Amino acid sequence: MNPVVEVSHLRKRFRLPLDKSSTLKYRVTHLRSSSRYSDLVALNDVSFDIPSGQFLGIAGPNGCGKSTLLKILCRIYKADSGYARVNGEFSAFLELGVGFNPELTARENIFLGGAMLGLTRAQLRDKVDEVLAFAELEDFAEQKLKNFSSGMQVRLAFSVAILGQTDLLVMDEVLAVGDASFQEKCFDTFNRYKREGKTIVLVSHNLGSLEEYCDRVLLLNHGAIVADGPATEVTGIYHRMVADHALAAERDLTTGVVHGDPNRTQTPAIEFTSAALLNGSGQNTRRFDTGTPLTIDMELLVHRDVGDFVCGMAIRRADGLLLAGTNTLMDNVSIPRHFPGDKVSVRYTIDSLPLLAGGYIVQVSVHHPAGTPVYDWVAPAASFRVNDMGGHLGLLEMRGRWEVEQEADVPTGAVRPILR
Amino acid sequence: MTVVAQGSGTLEAIPRPKSVFQRNLNLVRELSITSFKLKYTGSALGYVWSLIKPLMLFGIMFVVFSVLLKAGAKSPDFPVQLLIAIVAWTFFTEATTTAMNAVAGNGDLIRKAYFPRWILVLASTTSALLTFAINTVLVVIITLLLGDLDLTWRSLFAPLLYLELIVLVLGLSMLLSSLFVFFRDLGHIWEIVSLLLFYGSAIVLPFSLIDSKFPKLSVIAGLNPIAQIITDVRYALVDPSLPTMAHYIGPLIAIPILLTVAIFVLGFTVFTKLTPKFAESL
Repeated sequence: MNPVVEVSHLRKRFRLPLDKSSTLKYRVTHLRSSSRYSDLVALNDVSFDIPSGQFLGIAGPNGCGKSTLLKILCRIYKADSGYARVNGEFSAFLELGVGFNPELTARENIFLGGAMLGLTRAQLRDKVDEVLAFAELEDFAEQKLKNFSSGMQVRLAFSVAILGQTDLLVMDEVLAVGDASFQEKCFDTFNRYKREGKTIVLVSHNLGSLEEYCDRVLLLNHGAIVADGPATEVTGIYHRMVADHALAAERDLTTGVVHGDPNRTQTPAIEFTSAALLNGSGQNTRRFDTGTPLTIDMELLVHRDVGDFVCGMAIRRADGLLLAGTNTLMDNVSIPRHFPGDKVSVRYTIDSLPLLAGGYIVQVSVHHPAGTPVYDWVAPAASFRVNDMGGHLGLLEMRGRWEVEQEADVPTGAVRPILR
Repeated sequence: MTVVAQGSGTLEAIPRPKSVFQRNLNLVRELSITSFKLKYTGSALGYVWSLIKPLMLFGIMFVVFSVLLKAGAKSPDFPVQLLIAIVAWTFFTEATTTAMNAVAGNGDLIRKAYFPRWILVLASTTSALLTFAINTVLVVIITLLLGDLDLTWRSLFAPLLYLELIVLVLGLSMLLSSLFVFFRDLGHIWEIVSLLLFYGSAIVLPFSLIDSKFPKLSVIAGLNPIAQIITDVRYALVDPSLPTMAHYIGPLIAIPILLTVAIFVLGFTVFTKLTPKFAESL
């Protein structure tokens, strides 16, 4: 059986004029400058097939070519080379309510939206009441669309959009629409499609919904497919990619704090002069393995006598999620009083790093035991990557234990229920 | 578990008609009815405006050219000639100016949905045609009652001439709508060209007047399809004694007709050529 979608060596490039002007005067006076374009490669040699009945997700950061791919699939854009072929009827929800007119009534918009799907007036006439009922808008049939709340508009749009019978359904981030009860209905519809074995393409930033619905996910980056596989695997890669990207944007701070950083709040009483990450053998590094030691080595310079103070640290995932944070006060460690000119070295050691693969950021702070004033706060002070050899899932290695007991007197071949 | 009955739970999809032609035709119909409806909703007089506008234009032109300048003094039924010409001209300008925006003004549709793009142009023309058809029928009925029309077998010529006008309008619409996406100056240029055509096509004058005063110019003016259509419609509907365009320009009569076909072909070619670029340029 033919795949429902065949995409082969698709390339698409956009020419972005450096000085956009479409007036005749400009064209006449700048005849020779028509070549002033910058090229943006939106899709670069993308190939994939979608077999019938597959629920395919497409993920990727902004500008990775997702929408371009979808638009070529829906024949809105034309590919520069290669082809995208859809074998059969398709419905595209690139946006809900395309073609609707705010000046028309709900009923009239059903006819108009239905016509956009290729349905005739005669076909729709018997269906209008059903659509209005599904959209929960029976009482508003003769109201103009412009008087509808946005939730009502979306409900109507969704109800019309699912009217056309299709072999392929293409959706662009329209899952999060309407109020909770209607959302339920949308999900019911998607589940029904899934049960019925419809072929569906869903583009979404919401990795959760991709994981929930998709059999397979394509990860696009810079116009190319960088991962293609089961949803959980690919979303994992996507998480790591996002983290890497965030890390690349960080300044490298394994040794020494850069002064004058705008993110750094400073009062002259005590300040960080360096923050470094050390591995088990005391070497400065940014790469760690799960289960190995990690030490945050901080150096402080005291400018003014402030009495007792507290030093703290926090670890965040590259996307900002706070993973852990503590300080000397919480852990009952006292830092004795220091005098101007003193240098203080503070270390925080994690004996066995529980973090799994990804990119992480360290923040450090020094403040009064009461919380304020904050003498110095550096975020991020350092960043690091963790490699996990074990391939565990999630954020943390749990250090749990498995126990498997075997009873020797069970006859081989007997099937015993193991569920309680 | 409690189930709150709210609306119906599922909505079964409808199989689309097999014929793509039928779908497209249906979309043209829905879009043109919508734009026709929208043009007149919200105003108190609604559709009546589309009749008042050409009547006003007729009134002004009649006073200026017929009464003050005595342009059509020789033929007593010149007012009817003028009226019929103005209704046709109103269709021409309205259709071409709305078509200009048929693609550029529907960027949202073009960027977010797929359907053959010519549907937009055809729908805009159809919407203008709807107004034109109603106006023409009304004018024909009124003038027939007044006894100014002369309907005979030669009047069957008129639908053909109107067909020529529609083909011309469609060709220009495709040309203008696709080019306007890339050259926004076209809007202003077309206004000027329209004005030139209005006076160059002998709409407010009998063509004989141009012919007798500027014989050389009249040959050039006569080559333009609008002048030919208007002059010949007058012959077909109003007065058999009026000369047709063939009388003025002889065998050159083929030119306005060929020009109409050529404009249509050019419009179609340019439109098809530019269609793939619409979505990216809007």
